[in-house]
Amino acid sequence: MAFRPPDTEGHTSVAQDEGASILRVAGLSKRYGRVQVLDGVTFDVRAGSVVALLGANGAGKTTTLKCILGVVPFEGAVEVAGISVTGHGKDARRQMGYVPQSPALGEGDTCAEALAFLAEIKGVAKGRVPELLELVNLASQTATKVGHLSGGMRQRLALAAALLANPPLLLLDEPTASLDIESRRDLQQLILRLRDEGKTVILSTHFFDHLDEVADRALILHEGRLAFDGSLDDLARRARGNRYVVNLNGNAPAEFLEALRAAGVAPENVQRAELRWEEILLASTQGREQGEEQS
Amino acid sequence: MSVVLAVARKELRDAVSSSWLILYAVLFTALALALSYLGERNLGSVGFENFSRTTASVLNLCLLLAPLAALSLGAGAIAGERDRGSLTYLLSQPLNRWELLLGKFAGLSASIALATVAGFGAAGVFIAFFASSLDVGTYLMLIVLVLALVCVMTGLGLVASVVSATRVQALGLALLIWFIAVFVFDLLLIGMVSATSLGGGGLMLALLANPVEIVRVLAIIHLEPDLQILGPFGSYVMERAGTGGATAILSVALAAWMIVPVALAAWLFEIREA
Repeated sequence: MAFRPPDTEGHTSVAQDEGASILRVAGLSKRYGRVQVLDGVTFDVRAGSVVALLGANGAGKTTTLKCILGVVPFEGAVEVAGISVTGHGKDARRQMGYVPQSPALGEGDTCAEALAFLAEIKGVAKGRVPELLELVNLASQTATKVGHLSGGMRQRLALAAALLANPPLLLLDEPTASLDIESRRDLQQLILRLRDEGKTVILSTHFFDHLDEVADRALILHEGRLAFDGSLDDLARRARGNRYVVNLNGNAPAEFLEALRAAGVAPENVQRAELRWEEILLASTQGREQGEEQS
Repeated sequence: MSVVLAVARKELRDAVSSSWLILYAVLFTALALALSYLGERNLGSVGFENFSRTTASVLNLCLLLAPLAALSLGAGAIAGERDRGSLTYLLSQPLNRWELLLGKFAGLSASIALATVAGFGAAGVFIAFFASSLDVGTYLMLIVLVLALVCVMTGLGLVASVVSATRVQALGLALLIWFIAVFVFDLLLIGMVSATSLGGGGLMLALLANPVEIVRVLAIIHLEPDLQILGPFGSYVMERAGTGGATAILSVALAAWMIVPVALAAWLFEIREA
């Protein structure tokens, strides 16, 4: 699959200066019954950046995106391109494109019909539909019913729908969950191209391959609170801490431990651990939990 | 308004291609034709009375089936989207909740109206062909009345849809409303009249509380204003207000029934969690 960058025809959204804040989230709290899902989450996102929204299952990532979209009621304030989501939800949503974790477009519609319907809702010319289908490499599926598409194809279709009105802010909820490796790589390339065009992308994800190549910044949610807000480099540095990989030079672990006890054998080679992003995230949240317990 | 139209068109397209609506249209048309045929055969050609009685039979069928179809489809509108997980996605689009609801209301009402008109139309053609007389104006008025009832019941179905967590729950609630409006209401009120001293005002309010009864009385007033056929509530309003007054009162009440449930559904949809 090869994604092509979209052109700017049909652009209906508010133009944003790169570097200006396109999203302001202040004191965002959300409760479902007795469960406090989000608790005072505050952050700004500048235009033209790619932000990775990370966290374990149930950390509040999807709820955060739903609050930003104004789909669920919440406490606090959310502004998109200076427009209050609670006060002017429809106008605010014009500035956003959303790809849900499990896209649910009209099952009985063809891909072209599903996009045409959303184009009508967004006030965009239906002429953009073939162009967007080609962008996400679904041109050959134009007349295929949505119900017959694979999970990955549905996500690509939802991405095409999100780009219909060429909005300045894209919210992608686990966009790579159903994609194969090649499609995932292509999506990463597309995200970078969109960023280069000045778009802002908020990416909630569990798949962290090459995350540092895509995202400029990471936000980690842990138990409904913002546990980390910074660059990917900072995140990696913190997580690595004093962790080391010890090469045993062929010795069996039992012999190695014995030798350590005798304090007579030193490791031949000690180097900093190269952790995967999943491990970095895990280490970050674990560290926070330990800190909270100590305090 | 373009959002409302877009949603309405999609609902209409989806409904027309659904087996549910096709089944309703076929069933309704077949029953309407059967009733017309039986009416003509049993009554013979006795002029306008023949037309009135046959039309009243088709109308009774309408008052039974059209509310059921409208309530069921209305009940599935929002709760069905919630079940499929598509409601959040729809609400993430640049639209207001009331626009989504109004679009669904318009599309569903139109689709049931199409199916109803198909059945009513087929029966009308049959009656016109075999009966010695056909009052086209009255027949069209009956169709309009039934379409108004379709709008009322679609609105009530939407209320059930908005307040229910699942589609099954919404359908259950819709069926309960249908059962009460079509079967239980009259019996309940007759019981109340006997048990309590429900005066004239009470009788009037009771009539206005059931849109099915409003349509039935309005239709009979113009078909054959026989006080016995009108029933206790219809007879009372006719005696008190006359044909013109009764028509006006009942029409205003029907118009209110067309607006209030949709407005209530829109308000509930706005304040409830998606």
